[in-house]
Amino acid sequence: MNADAEEMDLRERLDLMQKMIAEGRRKQESWGWTFVLWGIAYYAAFFWAWLGNFVYAWPITMIAAGILTSIGFARPRHRSPETTMGRAIASIWIASGVSMFILFDAMGFGLHLSDARVFFAAASAMIGLANAACSLTLRWKAEFLCAIVWWAAAVIACFCSQVTAVAAFLTAIFLCQIVFGAYMMVLESRQRRQVARHA
Amino acid sequence: MPELPELNPVIHGKLRLALLSLLAGVEEAEFTWLRAKTGSTDGNLGAQLMKLEESGYVAVEKKFVQRKPQTIYRMTDAGREALQEYVQALKQLLGAAI
Repeated sequence: MNADAEEMDLRERLDLMQKMIAEGRRKQESWGWTFVLWGIAYYAAFFWAWLGNFVYAWPITMIAAGILTSIGFARPRHRSPETTMGRAIASIWIASGVSMFILFDAMGFGLHLSDARVFFAAASAMIGLANAACSLTLRWKAEFLCAIVWWAAAVIACFCSQVTAVAAFLTAIFLCQIVFGAYMMVLESRQRRQVARHA
Repeated sequence: MPELPELNPVIHGKLRLALLSLLAGVEEAEFTWLRAKTGSTDGNLGAQLMKLEESGYVAVEKKFVQRKPQTIYRMTDAGREALQEYVQALKQLLGAAI
């Protein structure tokens, strides 16, 4: 092999490595369906509480959504290779979810949630925090917009009437869980099709 | 003139290099995922992974998930070190070629 061909061969190998490392680090997990699922769970809990069962509606619905999420991730289709990035994202959501579960149950059973706006403000701020942390980790601006919407809902809950706070909370769920989740599902399915084409 | 480094022949094979590079980006990966990413056949992929395993560069774990067999591969510390050395050697060779 002459020197030029040898150099080209080495460069090809360097390119191959870069391509494969990038491929391995590409976002592997499917998260879109979890956003939609939790959006539906928030709506279900909200309307169940509105019908009068405020004490048990949220904890029961959140536990059910947590179980469904675990089942979904255990399905073979969702078993993609674990990456440090994936674990970081999962940790952010699990930690925020557990914090909210403990805080709101303690506040509810301790009878400190007489003003529902406190709940809307705290829940919105914490979901906004999780979205912002994920968007900064993934360097994904679209998710940061969700964080802004949640933070806006938190501020509205602090300064406006209860009806306005409810409207802001329900709108944030619709935009940041249902619409954003559906958008993620479309992106993920497009990415899966691309991978299948290259395979 | 400084002596040019030798490239590790185990890593130098294109498919083996692709496999190690893929495994460098994840914590562990299934056989089917590696096959999809490399576009390789089962036989060739299995043979190359076995070579990497024999060299101590990847570790294998076989298990059953929902009654289906699953083969999981992860890069070992030795594999990571060997890949780093390979990259250094490659850079040195390319530097010398320019």
